[in-house]
Amino acid sequence: MVERTVRIVNDPGLHLRSASSFVKTAARFKSDVWVMKDGIEVNGKSILGVISLVAEYGSSITIRAKGDDEEQAIASLATLVENRFYERE
Amino acid sequence: MATSESRILRGVAASPGIAVGKVYILELEELHIKEKSLAPEEIKPELARFKAALATTREEIEEVKNTIRQELGNEQAKVFDAHLQILDDVVAVEETVRLIRQEGKNAEFAYRRTLSKIAEEFDALEEEHFRNTAADVRDVKRRVIRHLLGKPRRSLGDIPGQVVLVAHDLTPSEAAFLTQDSILGIATDSGGRTSHAAIMARSRGIPAVVGLKYATLHMKPGDTLAVDGNRGLVEVHPDDHALEDYTRRQRKFLELEGALLDIRELPAVTLDGRQIELSANIEMPEEAELALRKGARGVGLFRTEFFYMRSARLPSEDEQYEAYKKVAELVYPYPVIIRTVDVGGDKFASYLGTERENNPFLGWRGIRFSLERTEIFKIQLRAIFRAAAAGNVKLMFPMVSSLDELRQANAICREVKDELRDKRVPYGENCEVGIMAETPAAVFIADLLAEEADFFSIGTNDLIQYTLAVDRGNEKIAHLYEPLHPAILRAIKTLVETGHKHDIWVGVCGEMCGDPAGAVILLGLGLDEFSTSPYLLPEIKTIVRSVTYAEAKELSERALCLSTAADVRRFVEEKLASKFPQITLP
Repeated sequence: MVERTVRIVNDPGLHLRSASSFVKTAARFKSDVWVMKDGIEVNGKSILGVISLVAEYGSSITIRAKGDDEEQAIASLATLVENRFYERE
Repeated sequence: MATSESRILRGVAASPGIAVGKVYILELEELHIKEKSLAPEEIKPELARFKAALATTREEIEEVKNTIRQELGNEQAKVFDAHLQILDDVVAVEETVRLIRQEGKNAEFAYRRTLSKIAEEFDALEEEHFRNTAADVRDVKRRVIRHLLGKPRRSLGDIPGQVVLVAHDLTPSEAAFLTQDSILGIATDSGGRTSHAAIMARSRGIPAVVGLKYATLHMKPGDTLAVDGNRGLVEVHPDDHALEDYTRRQRKFLELEGALLDIRELPAVTLDGRQIELSANIEMPEEAELALRKGARGVGLFRTEFFYMRSARLPSEDEQYEAYKKVAELVYPYPVIIRTVDVGGDKFASYLGTERENNPFLGWRGIRFSLERTEIFKIQLRAIFRAAAAGNVKLMFPMVSSLDELRQANAICREVKDELRDKRVPYGENCEVGIMAETPAAVFIADLLAEEADFFSIGTNDLIQYTLAVDRGNEKIAHLYEPLHPAILRAIKTLVETGHKHDIWVGVCGEMCGDPAGAVILLGLGLDEFSTSPYLLPEIKTIVRSVTYAEAKELSERALCLSTAADVRRFVEEKLASKFPQITLP
């Protein structure tokens, strides 16, 4: 099991579109993925779960991954968050 | 509730402009669901029925997504990616399955209960962006339930005449099909500036006020309503004086917008006299008018997938002919370039036999599809050649990657024309036939293709994707999708030089010419025609009119000497920034 805490740097945060990129990326890995914020943990492959965290701009989330490709999963997801989900505008 | 006394309601200004018209109320669609308790032997079939409804819904959302992507681009289409994920969300699906399996509930009831609960949780959030998710959840819910109940899809395409649309809220799928054609303005009870209805209204140029809370209560169909999308209010039954005021301000608003369009009637000609044909990409026949309003001299790309994707049947020859003719007559004497159907890739329809492939962009699409399904191809060609009798129509083939394909397609054209002549049906004998240059193969054999094509229209979106081997829908590599990559500049240069050597004209019909940096480079590379989204035309024309061809040429020659995309972009943007401080570069 690996985990990493990252800050949300895109505005307005982990909402519909960015959560969609997050879940799409998470789904590429075999490992289970969880996302935690303020003591609540959700399945990182569930878009509804991820949005329900209300991870706004400036907040921090902890991503956990467990499985054969956990290292790659966490690296990809953290990069995605740090790069503002490659959103334009 | 409604009286003939005037009443002003305040909401959120969601899309600028002013509209006055008759109210059309879009009622919330009633989906009656009964709670049932299943017998043990009914549970397995019920689960299968649920899975089947998810699969049908998935296909439907894919279709909407593709339509929106073509029309409004990738960014807008992403909403529907999210809808697909909501549909497949493990939490939602598992809870529904549990309710069916363990509590023996029917699928409609189980799914509604699960998704309504989730939507209500989102309703309670304070942040608008997050709260909006409730509308997405409900939209997906209604789609699935509609399929479970076997109810047909509701469409905004059926609204009669020109109306002001009043609704409690618009689902993303309803909002996706708003057209300026029938909807003058929009007023909704719920929603904010970032709701789907607002985003779509802005991108379609329809004045809108949202978040009015009780608009649907205060109005009835046929009432006169003024929508003031600038100030964020609506007025029911405005008196004569107010009406006059709205009309005056509507005119003023359009004038202001028109200031940018002042150059509409002017040609796209450089300071030293080189003229560019500036035309528009359209997808639906109705958009041709918008294109002209934005200053297009013709339609440089008329996509025809719309006809094939909007319903699960083949469009008839007459239906296509009428649509092509309408556009041809409207833009005459300017040309309209009709691209034969490009299904496959990301646009598939089970009734055509195209399906999701492992590698769809390298798959059965474009001209490859048409050459195999010649019966479908011929119907479209007949419609195009007949329309060519009514205006300045040209046609082009998508995805050509070999001379054989062009020859086969040309032979079928000959056959179709002979048939029309024998039957004494009027058609355009001299209709130009060109190709969309969008594969690297077409670049390498440009000399051979130029011998047998009347023009090249460079589809930069696909040319970039194939040349750089980058799928820009893939976030991991989207940043590698770079129109100013030296490989792309060289490919375009080859196409232009080869085309001109063979005395055919070369245009470009991708997004690259809608970007200021791209436009200047393309101008300098010697392109004869630009075709892009109607909304971008005024800006691009301004750019063309304020440079000389000589300096654009020098700029592109120097850009061609640079080794990396980053160098090219920096160089071009620096040059542009000093010349056009008012243009914001992306």
